Amino acid sequence: MRVPLSWLREHVEIQLSPEQLADRLTLLGMEVQGIERIGAQWEHVVVGEILEVAPHPGSNRLSLTRIRTGEGSERSIVCGATNIAPGQRIPVALPGSVLPGDRRIEVTRIAGVESAGMLCSGAELGLTVDADGILILPAETPIGVALPDLLGDVVLDVDVKPNRGDALCIVGLAREVAAATGAPLRRPEIVVAESGDRTEDHLAVSVEDPRCSRFVGRWLDGVRVGPSPLEIQRRLMAAGMRPVSNVVDASNYVMLELGKPIHTFDAEAVHEGRIVVRAARPGERIETLDHVERELDPEVLLIADPAGPLAIAGVMGGASSEVGPGTTSVIVESAIFDPVAIRRSAFRYALRSEASLRFEKGQEHALARTGADRTAQLILAWAGGRAAVGVVDTDPAEPAPIRVAFRSGRVNRLLGTSLPDADQRELLARVEVTTESAPAGTPIPVLPGEPPVASAPEDQVWIATIPGHRRDLVIEADLAEEIARVRGYDALLGRLPSTIMPAYREDPWRFTDELRHLISGRGFSEVVTHALIGPEDHRRLGLALDDAETIRAENPVTLDHSELRRDLLPSLVHVLADNERQRRDEIAIFEIGERHRLALGEPHAERRLGVLAAGAIDPAGWDEPARQAGIGELKALVAWLADRLGEARVRFLPAEPRPGIDHPGRTAQVTVEGPEGTIVIGTVGELDPRYLAAMEIRAGQVAWADLSVAALQTLVPGRRRIGLPSRQPSVERDLAVVVPETLPAGRVEAVIRAAAGPSLGALRLFDRYRGAPLAPGEVSLAWRLRIDPGDGPPDDSAIDSLIGAVVASLHDELGARIRS
Amino acid sequence: MDLASFARSLEALEERALSSVAAAASPDDLARVDAEILGRKGELRELLGGIGALPTEDRPRVGALANPIRERLEAAIAARREDLELAAVEARLAAEALDVTLPARPLHRGSLHPIRETEREISRIFGQFGFVVVESPEVETDELNFQALNIPEDHPARDLWDTIYLREPTERPAGAPRRLFRTHTSPGQIRAMRASTPPIRILTPGRCFRYEAVDASHAFEFFQVEGLMIDEGTSMADLRGLLDAFAHAMFGAGRPTRFRPGYYPFTEPSVAFDIGCVVCDGSGCPACGRSGWMTILGAGMVHPVVLRNGGIDPERYQGFAFGMGTDRITMLRHAIRDIRAFLANDLRFLERL
Repeated sequence: MRVPLSWLREHVEIQLSPEQLADRLTLLGMEVQGIERIGAQWEHVVVGEILEVAPHPGSNRLSLTRIRTGEGSERSIVCGATNIAPGQRIPVALPGSVLPGDRRIEVTRIAGVESAGMLCSGAELGLTVDADGILILPAETPIGVALPDLLGDVVLDVDVKPNRGDALCIVGLAREVAAATGAPLRRPEIVVAESGDRTEDHLAVSVEDPRCSRFVGRWLDGVRVGPSPLEIQRRLMAAGMRPVSNVVDASNYVMLELGKPIHTFDAEAVHEGRIVVRAARPGERIETLDHVERELDPEVLLIADPAGPLAIAGVMGGASSEVGPGTTSVIVESAIFDPVAIRRSAFRYALRSEASLRFEKGQEHALARTGADRTAQLILAWAGGRAAVGVVDTDPAEPAPIRVAFRSGRVNRLLGTSLPDADQRELLARVEVTTESAPAGTPIPVLPGEPPVASAPEDQVWIATIPGHRRDLVIEADLAEEIARVRGYDALLGRLPSTIMPAYREDPWRFTDELRHLISGRGFSEVVTHALIGPEDHRRLGLALDDAETIRAENPVTLDHSELRRDLLPSLVHVLADNERQRRDEIAIFEIGERHRLALGEPHAERRLGVLAAGAIDPAGWDEPARQAGIGELKALVAWLADRLGEARVRFLPAEPRPGIDHPGRTAQVTVEGPEGTIVIGTVGELDPRYLAAMEIRAGQVAWADLSVAALQTLVPGRRRIGLPSRQPSVERDLAVVVPETLPAGRVEAVIRAAAGPSLGALRLFDRYRGAPLAPGEVSLAWRLRIDPGDGPPDDSAIDSLIGAVVASLHDELGARIRS
Repeated sequence: MDLASFARSLEALEERALSSVAAAASPDDLARVDAEILGRKGELRELLGGIGALPTEDRPRVGALANPIRERLEAAIAARREDLELAAVEARLAAEALDVTLPARPLHRGSLHPIRETEREISRIFGQFGFVVVESPEVETDELNFQALNIPEDHPARDLWDTIYLREPTERPAGAPRRLFRTHTSPGQIRAMRASTPPIRILTPGRCFRYEAVDASHAFEFFQVEGLMIDEGTSMADLRGLLDAFAHAMFGAGRPTRFRPGYYPFTEPSVAFDIGCVVCDGSGCPACGRSGWMTILGAGMVHPVVLRNGGIDPERYQGFAFGMGTDRITMLRHAIRDIRAFLANDLRFLERL
């Protein structure tokens, strides 16, 4: 909310600078988010008097004026406005001034005559919207005064929280300042000079819907609609509202001053002077003030007359009953509506306004009458006329004040303080909350809307009487907050918790962090990408646009981010594309993130490790060529990872490629043989060039891996048994195994491992050879076996028989022969 | 042959042998010389094989003549071998000399994402005080994201969160709460409370979603870390002490801090926690709106309604919750001016960490 300081000062004395005041309000929970100085651009703009208005010799549209801006200081200024006359006081921009919009004023010649400055309109000063003529100042305005001293202001931008609707107005914030500084609050003096017949002679109100709890109406006639006084226009502008006319401005002024939204109707347009508050009927329509014809939903609360809708209650008036220049009699509506009803109406028609915002937060019952009276008072003052005697009021009875019991001991327990009862009561008194002692055992409202809870006999209980405007103080904890807030949090001393520690719980990030550190240590960069991706990304993965398992947003910010990713791959490929655009084509990245789907209608998230590499994985140096990323590099990474995590040995098996996405000849499933069977870790491979082209990737070869984090975690043993190595040195034997080329090497490896048994320490393929003297279609796989001889004395024959068993198995199971 | 001529032959052999040793240019050369002279079929042995031509009485004296010569030759060969080996090592080293000022071979640097690292730093700091991470789902229900947190339908406070909802593929059963992309990590609190009993000290970090126009400080996907501590006597003073410790660990020991009143439906009292501006150190700059302070998190005592909704007796227990934007903390920590950098993943940016 924009708060002009000059207006705030009318209701409370302020000795502080704007910055100090902003600090105090902020520390009171009314956060000041900005300080704006109106008139900061009015340097060299002063008040002048028009001495003479003469025709311009060179133009019949211009006048030549003689202006006095101080003792012995007269000047000629050319002016195009027609509303000027000798004797008027007006703002004069002297040469050297720079007006809003960077408009520089200098001594110039206009149509051949020198002009030493400019007479300013309100619009040219950024003060009013009225651009019809020069801003005519009141006749008593002193000549020569700098305009900022006269009309300048400081505006605080205050963020009033949703629970403090009462502070969403000048008087409400003045009340907060009063609480902070101790200065008295000056409420507006509200007196309506009534005369003639009674309001009910002109106006009848019936409320047919419980969502309107009070309707106060007033009736005025003889009103002359015109502009509001300059100071009022200035205030409204400073507060961010556009002045309209004295009658409309009066209602807006009351909303800003007291926080009470008011609506005014042209009384002539209200049939029979009868107002009905009711729900809309099917098929009803209204043209609202913004000249939009709207269909009314039966849920919407209406202000109507016998002929039909007049206004959408609390949201916007109708065009038919709008107060205009010809209006002479006015009905003032000051009502209390159900906050939810107004919020729904405002959302339904996308018409959230300053008024609906205040209704949504709930309104004090008493404000209905105060607001009606204040509006009538201001209309009389600004537009003249007569207010009929009395009001029409559908619920004049004031409700009893809310009383909230609280325990001073619990307040201290919540705050971690030891404030004496007297201090707590004094702090509440500063915000108009009075307190009285209550008998032991008085029940305490702990939860809103629920029966209070009995207090213990030893508790000191106080009963707080809440002023009507503080609808937010309902339970004991609310009073604890009020005490802490008014006291100021600077006074709250911190301490470290000294209570019982909770039971040990495993950190779920321990494992993912190990993965992150291992992989990034291998030169991969961690990325974090959007969980929401586009339908096109999913379509390219072969998922139908209406795939039933895809989780979609009803109201996405953009279509490109409207579906929860089913797979990490598109995001990683997008990172590659983006970096390629930055001329970075060596990429090795990974992400640990979730893939999502609906399973039996319920959202299901699974954490995956996605890895992607393109370009040189070992960049070229001056002495070595680059090594390009391919399936081999990522297989190595995955195998190493499994070994590091749990001495697990992965197996790569040919996997079914997704058509057009995976390279059909370079896609492998990664598995580990566990004690409870085969664990599938994920997939590793390269991408189909057609997929890369569709994703606008320049790189010709991109390798990726998609691994299950949960499966990787199963590789980590709870407690790893290490033992000691053999005292004997390891023995190495080489075997060149000749098999058909079509036989997967994985089969050969599996046979060797099975036959060699546990004493095989390491197995490495160090050569793969085709050609003479091998027969066509044959391949020789040269393996180096590293055998752990055990702790006994060296025994070559045992090693020999182990190798013999391996050779025999290779021959028996695969028909392989050994090349010597 | 007499002894004297035998001795001369020995001396001649020695002389020849010494010059051969001296002439040996490589260890291989030397080994050949060694074999030629001292080997099993070497000259010395051959000469000594001629001992039979000497008179019998002279034969025992041959040893006295030949042994010193053998020893001298052996010593000469050993010395020469040492010289040659030394020379060979030196030659090799000379040949291997490199320009060590050549640039190192580039290795891919590898890096960790700043958001993740800040999450970890936050969890490490609060971990010192017994807080443990508990993760919770990104797709939530209106019930857990709002209602259980004391934000009923049509509550004006709902304006604080612009929500992205799930498009339901089929009609939801009657009474089933609407589903949405969580707007904050707070529903994790309810889940954690329902799953355990006090004392509770947890962190619920993660990704959140809001219907926001994207600019330098707003994103529709962002990250939060939320903390919750509940016990019988846990108070605002404990909250203050803990957050001070956090701010000092994260932003430096001298950093000023302050509480100011705030508003959240799920805490009562509610506060905002500010630190002295990390850019201007409090003197006022555009980054802090010239106030000298930057808000880094919101906090407060858990509202009794929220405790009750979490299955915890609000009369017996009380506690606090706090929530911070991981993106914002990371931006302040690493002087990053645009939140969009985090999900853009430009490697030039990522490889700074």
